[in-house]
Amino acid sequence: MAIMVVVSLPLFAALLCWIKPLRKISWGITVVCLTASFALSIAIAAQVLWYGRVIAIPGWFEVDGLSVLVILLVSWVCTLAAIFAGGYMRHGSQQTELRWWFYCNYNLLAFALIIVPAFASPNLVWVGMELITLFAILLVGFESTPSALEAAWKYAILTLMGAPISLFGFFVLYWAYRTSGGGTIETWQGLSAMASTMSPNLLKLSFLMVFVGFGAKAGLAPMHVWLPDAHSQAPSPVCAVLSGVKTTVPLYAILRFLSIILASPEARIGNWMVVAGLFSVGIAAFLLLQVRDYKRMFAYSTVEHMGIILTAAGFATHAGASGAVMQMLNHSITKSLCFYTAGMVLLLLETRQIKEVRGLFRLSPFVASALLICSLAIAGAPPFPIFLSEFSILSAGLRSGHNVAVIVLAILIVIAFVAIFLQVNSMLFGKPDPAATVGKVPWSCRTAVVIAALPVVVLGVYVPGPVQALLTLAAQQLGGH
Amino acid sequence: MIRTVVYNIIQLLFVIGLAPLYAGALSRLKEIIQSRRGPSVFQPYRDLWKLFHKDEVISSETTWIFRITPYLVFVTPLFVTILIPVLTAYPLAFGFMGDMLAGGFFLGLGGFFAALAAVDTGNPYGPMGASRTRMVGFLVEPVFMIVFFTVSFVAHSTIPYIVQQKWVASPAAFFSPSHVLLLIAFLMIILAEGGKIPVDNPSGHFELAMIDESKGLEYSGRGAALMKWGGEMKIMVLTCIFLNVLFAPWGLASDQQFLHVLLAIPLIFIKILFFTVLLVIIESSLAKLRLFRISEFLGAAFIISVAAMIASIFSVA
Amino acid sequence: MQLIEGLNALSAGLILLTAFGMVATRQVQGVMRFFIVQSAFLAASALLIGVGRGSIHLLALGVITVLAKVIAIPWVLRRMLPSDLYERREINQAINIPTSLLLALLLAIAAEFFLSPAVATSTDPIVRVNLPIGLAGILIGAYTLIARREAIPQLIGILAMENGAFFAGIAVAPDLPLIAELAIAIDVILIAVVIGVLTRNITQTIGSSDVSLMSELREEPRPWR
Repeated sequence: MAIMVVVSLPLFAALLCWIKPLRKISWGITVVCLTASFALSIAIAAQVLWYGRVIAIPGWFEVDGLSVLVILLVSWVCTLAAIFAGGYMRHGSQQTELRWWFYCNYNLLAFALIIVPAFASPNLVWVGMELITLFAILLVGFESTPSALEAAWKYAILTLMGAPISLFGFFVLYWAYRTSGGGTIETWQGLSAMASTMSPNLLKLSFLMVFVGFGAKAGLAPMHVWLPDAHSQAPSPVCAVLSGVKTTVPLYAILRFLSIILASPEARIGNWMVVAGLFSVGIAAFLLLQVRDYKRMFAYSTVEHMGIILTAAGFATHAGASGAVMQMLNHSITKSLCFYTAGMVLLLLETRQIKEVRGLFRLSPFVASALLICSLAIAGAPPFPIFLSEFSILSAGLRSGHNVAVIVLAILIVIAFVAIFLQVNSMLFGKPDPAATVGKVPWSCRTAVVIAALPVVVLGVYVPGPVQALLTLAAQQLGGH
Repeated sequence: MIRTVVYNIIQLLFVIGLAPLYAGALSRLKEIIQSRRGPSVFQPYRDLWKLFHKDEVISSETTWIFRITPYLVFVTPLFVTILIPVLTAYPLAFGFMGDMLAGGFFLGLGGFFAALAAVDTGNPYGPMGASRTRMVGFLVEPVFMIVFFTVSFVAHSTIPYIVQQKWVASPAAFFSPSHVLLLIAFLMIILAEGGKIPVDNPSGHFELAMIDESKGLEYSGRGAALMKWGGEMKIMVLTCIFLNVLFAPWGLASDQQFLHVLLAIPLIFIKILFFTVLLVIIESSLAKLRLFRISEFLGAAFIISVAAMIASIFSVA
Repeated sequence: MQLIEGLNALSAGLILLTAFGMVATRQVQGVMRFFIVQSAFLAASALLIGVGRGSIHLLALGVITVLAKVIAIPWVLRRMLPSDLYERREINQAINIPTSLLLALLLAIAAEFFLSPAVATSTDPIVRVNLPIGLAGILIGAYTLIARREAIPQLIGILAMENGAFFAGIAVAPDLPLIAELAIAIDVILIAVVIGVLTRNITQTIGSSDVSLMSELREEPRPWR
């Protein structure tokens, strides 16, 4: 029951924002509904920890450890981004009359993001994923400047191109499921149960198709080319949602599928996933060296972390799975913080270029310290959580014998760290440009940043018991031996 | 044995005699669709009769090629007629003399000499039209070849009679993707080789734009009559190949009774008239392509025929 | 049943033909018309297989396809976008037409090769025909997308890819729950609507629907505002 409420709250908020008299308080409606969603998802997480799995409508809406983790992440990031958006949209956006449309769209995106992990059937997951893409396209192109529209168009074409490919993959999966004797209702759980009896050729074919199709949405190389453009041109709260959770959700679907394939003894995909993941990390690391726009820098960092998660899942062991899940959690909370900070820098200095941002510590210590924290965190420095998860991934890789992969991964992570740190360094220190105009950072943005920074700072040193239990439960879903 | 030779002769007479009627029906129908009255369907016969009774004027600059070409253009479709099923479903006396490749070569022979003769006169429009005809010809050749290869691959033979029996045996084979694609490719060949829209305008008299008509420009009297008749017979022969071998082999006489063979004559002609309707619809609804777009048109025909070949290889293999 | 298999194979061949047609045509209207014809053949195939296998889902899918792709989407696109976008007679393309056709043919052959181990697991002739031609439709649609520079042909490329995916789907997943199929159909309409809105914005902002004109986002981006 709680699941249905969580899922329908954002939809309800979107409908409310549409109604004319309520348009003025659309921000308030959004924040209230999303906070309620977040609270309810914590309740569902508690239920899942107790029972192992929560079923709202059998065959349609079922939530287990991995799903509830993703739902938690989605509602956390969406809520905070909504709070951030209040101040940001008021000060930084060009389109003042269409603000209600922004919130309406935002709620629809949140709805689609929450509903995908809650779906139990892969075909409905496909439908949900397309809905996510559609709403995100509208949000990316919100500013209606030529570059925003270009980013939106590229995003639209590249991700929608993946849609029929993954649909084909899902059809083949359904075929394999039915020909090995499955019932008419196909759920993730049913699929993993039947994994060993399904034909490995068909499984491999459908996985490849789904990997290409959803990988384009998740930002895995070489289908990642839309990501830097879209994530730099969209309004910053939207970027936080896009980078933080919208790339995680397709990756969640790919990982679910991967766990089904790994359960089948004959199809050996794990090593290919390691290679694909390393490819993403490599491309991102090298592109990070030449980036000139700090929002694009964070976008490339998203590509890198998606690659790391995929590599970890490819190790096909319990340790690799727990590393992957932890990385998912840490990346979402850290990356959204990064984009809030980027939004604040944008509000302050009105430029996206790194070389035009200097001396942030003198201009606004609050923003500068936030930037320092989040860039250290995203690059993987201790005592921040990403360091913990990357370390556990590397050790999982060593334990499962993928030594070469671990060495390559470590080198690439170091390259990315250096690249990010060099860029951020030049932004933080030095003397500010005297001719630059300095904007204001509204209180709602500051509030959002402070709240978002809390888990980033805490989880690096202390992982509370329930969180650890949830992570373990989620890792079990990913399978491995 | 004698009977089959007789039937062969009847087949030849069928093609010789009814080719002008086919051309007349085509032009009459086209005019009717375009809301005009059009000439009588027997007009080509009258034209041929008129031309045979006129004097011939031959330029003194021409060689023996110019003189021999009308006869070649008249005779080569007749050779092809002997090889393909026109009235009967079983091979006739000379039916094994050559296969479809031989048929293609015969038609090519006629076209080759026509092009040479056009260059022979020294008239500026002749070589222009001849070069264009050859361009269309060499673009059509690969399509011809691939169509023949595909058909032979499925039927395991290159003799048209055997192909016809195997190809349309069952509904599954009839509707198979390779068959449909082959039909479309061959239709495009007919449009190209026969000089119909969208490749060429058969009723235009503007020499700068002529492709196929230019072969008959310099002829007069008996030469002109033979060139015209030969052109009409070539189109009829191509149509017969399309209908009787590939598309709709119904109405052919299946045994050796004389009455059945005679009955086949009107049946086949009615079938040809149905095809005429299709041709007229195509001609009236499309516009003539610009010259360099013809290569795209024939390129598309090539792609379609290769797709047909691939489809047949994969579904048979 | 054999007749149904034959007719299904016929529509498969014609679907492939329309896919080639989309690559070969120069006009925006031409691409749209080929898409409508391709969707009609897809619907016909769905109805045929539905009758042959007695699956009501497929009959419903056929009807939905006709309503959505043959009628609704072209109408919606026509209404939403300014009509001078449709009168373009020459689409800008990256590669000329004969080479494009050859590439499309190679893609179709590649699809057939790629699927031969998967097709070998089934003896059903409908599956053997639909699966490769479905994937070929997807690949050729993707190629149409890449090679064209105008907005509407790119959108139709995406929808043609969906046609290909569906064509494979009706053969291998005929009893997919109806809700999933309905949702998928609605999704297709939504895609068309969203892209239509985006195209309208683009046309209004940059004055033309040639999307290759928008190429500023590289590693040296313009400053904000």
